[in-house]
Amino acid sequence: MIVIKGIGWITLTEYGSIIKKLQGNYTDLKSLHSHLQHESVLKYAIKNFGRFDAASKMTCCSIALALNDAGITYSEHMKHDAGILGTNNDGCLESNLAYFKDYVSCGRTIARGNLFIYTLPSTPMAEAAIYFGFQGPLLYVKFQVNQIASMLRFAGKMILCGETSKMIAVEANEEKAVCFVLGNKDNTSTVKSLSLEDVVDTIEKISDFDKILMMLNRLLRELV
Amino acid sequence: MTKTKAVVVACDVVTPYGWGIDSCWNGLLSKKTAIGRLDRFPTESFLTQNAAVVPGLTYGQDESIVIKMLTPLLQKNISSIPEDAFLILATTTGEIDKLERHVLNDSTDAASSRPHKLLEKILLLCGLSSPGIVVSAACASSSIAVAQAAGMIISGENNCVMVVACDSVSEFVFAGFSSLMALDKDMAKPFDRDRNGLSLGEASGFLLLMSKSRALRENRPVIGEIAGWGLTNDANHMTGPSRDGSGLVMAIRKALKSANVSENDIGCLSAHGTGTIYNDSMEIKALETVFGNHKVPVYSIKGGTGHTLGAAGLLEIIIAFESLNKKIVPPTVNLCNVDNEASVWVSSEPLTFDASVTISTNSGFGGVNCAVVLKKG
Repeated sequence: MIVIKGIGWITLTEYGSIIKKLQGNYTDLKSLHSHLQHESVLKYAIKNFGRFDAASKMTCCSIALALNDAGITYSEHMKHDAGILGTNNDGCLESNLAYFKDYVSCGRTIARGNLFIYTLPSTPMAEAAIYFGFQGPLLYVKFQVNQIASMLRFAGKMILCGETSKMIAVEANEEKAVCFVLGNKDNTSTVKSLSLEDVVDTIEKISDFDKILMMLNRLLRELV
Repeated sequence: MTKTKAVVVACDVVTPYGWGIDSCWNGLLSKKTAIGRLDRFPTESFLTQNAAVVPGLTYGQDESIVIKMLTPLLQKNISSIPEDAFLILATTTGEIDKLERHVLNDSTDAASSRPHKLLEKILLLCGLSSPGIVVSAACASSSIAVAQAAGMIISGENNCVMVVACDSVSEFVFAGFSSLMALDKDMAKPFDRDRNGLSLGEASGFLLLMSKSRALRENRPVIGEIAGWGLTNDANHMTGPSRDGSGLVMAIRKALKSANVSENDIGCLSAHGTGTIYNDSMEIKALETVFGNHKVPVYSIKGGTGHTLGAAGLLEIIIAFESLNKKIVPPTVNLCNVDNEASVWVSSEPLTFDASVTISTNSGFGGVNCAVVLKKG
């Protein structure tokens, strides 16, 4: 059975996790990085964090929260058999605009490589894979309906198909992010987890981000 | 219980060699490149003035380049596409020329360049009834999309999935690759000792996959089977591959295992072969590790077609099926002085082979690797 072992989330001013019920406030993404490092949610500084686009920053921080929620550790030199699946509404539209406007403002003669690398929808997942050492499948998928539920179902299918043993599924944009750690149920573990099926059923038709977090918290309470 | 097989029942492509699979296959066998002087936008400031584009497409007006490729291609094949096919669109930048026009002269809405808007257009073009998805994973986008499509069929989730792949040569992408110093000043020369970068290319194509039972029920011609795949990440660097090829090694080994074949079953291999120093070197190291003394013939089509980015994987799978069914390893176009480390693997001449299994690999930005095992139908 596939279960969800950890969930991390970020809004414009707050961050938290569902199972361990961590919660905090932040002012900007630089301070979010500092808070998470101070609380040992981020085990070490994210290299070049200041250069990342906003979606990559949100992606990496929400994954750190979800891994911490699942009790999964990582280190600079450790690689994991974990895949990463990302989704959002707009792909990398904001980064595309930032890169091309900069190029045009330079007289269409020279582009900035540091902006260009963020013009792929999969780049935030790639930044996360490098930092956390995820060596499994990496892809961005845009779903037309029930985005988060569809993402979870897709990630679960990848585990069932034997593509990897663990999937990190993250929806992130410049303003909000939610990340789930999926894996096979470990019957010997005493750590709390939520059934993938229950989570998908609960949030299937909900698009409001705050309501999804509320429903996930309710689901956990029912489990306890 | 017998495992459900995912088979390819229809496919088509448009490349810088022209319309259709035959034009691409014959172009490759002619050993002539489709890379040439680019006149879509000013290129004087960039590393090169060369790229491979589909002849006859006008840039910067009306519809995007990818729609100009996809509309005739899909209309021509509409009768083979069932209404209930699930659609997967694979692309890196899709209709990025629309965003260019928004920034340059405000003549379009930037939001219309988002890939899911293109997905909606393709659903309409093909008259498909169910919602689809967009898959994007840098230069492995469409090979990963094909793997996921096969997974949907094998798991019983769908019995018919259509993968559409496309990317175009745009100022947006050209300027970016130039800034990364990734373009060869002349033309891409995969596995050549004088290689110095890639050449950009463009293509669009589709693969229609079905469960074997449905294909037989509908009397569909079976082109071949997507027998297995392996997806991995280097977790190493944003724009460069891991030097030892370890990520690609893992992907190939996973693919062989999932297809239940050994490296000795493989008749030839379609490499990513971009023509960059580090990519090609990494690939040869990976091949040495996986295949050892079994010197399987290897080729890259990118010296002919250019690097078609998100479309590359699908295009290369189509060519790999052609190769498998014709028993010919295509030549690596633009290979003049083969690199020492690649000399026992690649050839500038076509070769014959006799095997029923081949493999196609792609690697890309962010360290993605994908290997797909193909079998005769």
